[in-house]
Amino acid sequence: MKFNKLLAAASLVTFCFAAGAAQAETLQMWVRSGIGASFTKLVEAYNASHEDKIQMTEVPFSELVQKYATAIAGGQAPDALSLDLIYNPAFAAADQLEDLTDWAKALPYFSSLSPSHVKLGTYEDKIYGMPLSVETSVFAWNKDLYKKAGLDPDKAPTTWEEISENAKKIRALGDDTYGFYFSGGGCGGCMIFTFMPLTWGAGADILSEDGKTATLDTPEMRKAVDYYREMVKADVVPPGAASDTGTNFLSITNGKIGQQNLGAFAIGTLVTEHPDIHFGVSLIPSVDGKTSSFAGGDNFVITKGSPRADIAKNFLEYAYSLEGQKVMAKYGSLPTRSDIAAEVLKDLDPRMQVGVDAIAVAKTPYTLQFNDLINSANGPWASFTNAAIFGDDVDAAFATAQEEMQSIIDNAQ
Amino acid sequence: MTLADSLSRPTRRRRPKRRSQWKGLLYIAPAMVLVIMFFILPVLFTFWMSLHKWPLLGVPRFIGLNNYIRMFSDTRFYSALGFTAYYTVIITIAIFALAFPLAIFVERQRKMVGVYRTAIFMPVVVGLASASLLWVWFANVDSGFLNPLLAWLGIVDLKTNFFASFDSAFFIVCLMVVWKVAGFTMIILLTGLQAIPTELGEAARIDGANRWKRFFYVTLPLMRKTMALSLILSVTGSILAFDQFYIMTAGGPQNKMISVVYYIFNQSFVSFNLGYGAAMSLALLVILVLISIFQLWLLRVGEERA
Repeated sequence: MKFNKLLAAASLVTFCFAAGAAQAETLQMWVRSGIGASFTKLVEAYNASHEDKIQMTEVPFSELVQKYATAIAGGQAPDALSLDLIYNPAFAAADQLEDLTDWAKALPYFSSLSPSHVKLGTYEDKIYGMPLSVETSVFAWNKDLYKKAGLDPDKAPTTWEEISENAKKIRALGDDTYGFYFSGGGCGGCMIFTFMPLTWGAGADILSEDGKTATLDTPEMRKAVDYYREMVKADVVPPGAASDTGTNFLSITNGKIGQQNLGAFAIGTLVTEHPDIHFGVSLIPSVDGKTSSFAGGDNFVITKGSPRADIAKNFLEYAYSLEGQKVMAKYGSLPTRSDIAAEVLKDLDPRMQVGVDAIAVAKTPYTLQFNDLINSANGPWASFTNAAIFGDDVDAAFATAQEEMQSIIDNAQ
Repeated sequence: MTLADSLSRPTRRRRPKRRSQWKGLLYIAPAMVLVIMFFILPVLFTFWMSLHKWPLLGVPRFIGLNNYIRMFSDTRFYSALGFTAYYTVIITIAIFALAFPLAIFVERQRKMVGVYRTAIFMPVVVGLASASLLWVWFANVDSGFLNPLLAWLGIVDLKTNFFASFDSAFFIVCLMVVWKVAGFTMIILLTGLQAIPTELGEAARIDGANRWKRFFYVTLPLMRKTMALSLILSVTGSILAFDQFYIMTAGGPQNKMISVVYYIFNQSFVSFNLGYGAAMSLALLVILVLISIFQLWLLRVGEERA
């Protein structure tokens, strides 16, 4: 499938060059993996209806930042990029992005664009990044497995005791059926997205307000770790989870996982590509029974000095049109424009609405060291989640990670 | 450079004539140009970088020897060095323990020896990255075949995730590397074995030396040069190991499998401290040169003793 698309894109480009098409230009654009099909579909729709073409390259999400930075340093950067919004400040601060302020403010719907995205895209009063995709983390359960295990398929669990109990009942169904899944093999990005809301909802965080102190070791985090540890011990989590670095993040799509925290993108993927899996969606309960979510997504940025900035802007305006928003929403990206959100979601799967509701309780961490602290596969957060949940010494895991996080923050000052 | 010098010096005779010296220089000029362009200059530039705080994006700032000072107090660098040393020792012993018997096995003319040689050498032509991915799949707990196989043999539980604990993950990585590299070491050792004149062995046999004595007192001493070559290649390769850990374990459970090169990569391209990465690269270069000199010295001392 993917290869065919790639081939098609490649031959299209070759064709354009061969034909010497003077007017139609090709915009090189990168996008990270793991955000579902919404962006691919948007590009396809754009290419089908416009003369200028977008050539999209998918880059593994854990390597996008370093690949983009090295490409900039080597003068090989793509024209535009769908950049995980938490990295937006770092690249804007490094003065590598095109200033979009005037163009953005002239958009009639500028004020209704996702404010948290615009905030992260703004650096020193100039706008460098514009909202492209919005996603929140949610809790999902497989209704068929619930039914088989004698649980009410339409009732979402609201506490982790309940989730854990349900997981055990689902596990009892048989060999390959498991109650719960998470990518626990040192996938910092997955865990901040799916696991962190457990403590956020209860009011705890891993960084202080000003971002200068690591506050990992809280009673809330201990409690969250205990819930996961207990499930691992009870054998309701597949053994592969311990070494999954994010590759199998969408394990629920195999139909043998009872419950999982995932994102709105995954809802889109499940609805469009796995219609045979019947699942329910609700907000992620925190350790004290409240709810929370991680509001993430991507900003659209243009590499400074790109000669094709106009096409990029044209493409983005298409993405903001009702048609573009509908294409993206169908594949799991929540609407970025609040003024037409209701219209966009009107005919779509009602479960998408849960993703929209999550925005109200969601948080987005803001730190320039996000990659070093959280997302890097060898960063303290990634190894902490693995050591604390699967390791033998929980106290040591807390102590090591706390110390390492603080030293990274201190070194960067 | 040092290596090449010390290897080639004793065999070459010096000619006094001036003209032929120029001629000689002319002959080595292309090689020299390549070495200067692709080794000397980059090393000098790396050194220059190591004196700076050099972010991937933005302006480098001169900080003198601060990167080197930081290196001496960087515990993560030390643990990376420690792990690399551990890996190098284990993997070198493992490779030799397998490659030597294999070399002896395929040296003799026997039926289908060509088939054996080819089969054993085959993994060498597979790329290290592809081999790593292949073994990740072999050893995958859900879809691999290693689990069912070992469970059938009663060695491990069917649901054991090999990549979840250090020892088993390390074992799988070593298994992959031995599978991949042993054939290469075998070929080098094989050429050494074949270079030994058969008369020597026959003479020893007539003198009443048994098989083990012939191996230890005739074969091994004559293999010294070959051993030095394969040992240096193996040790150097192991110290520079990166791909297998990056691909197979992403640094291993809880970062226990970060080799030096992996750490340099992380510092340079994940944390964007190119200057610090450069400083560590130079430190690694020095360590490698020292180890290689030591190995050559070790094997030469043996020569004098014999």
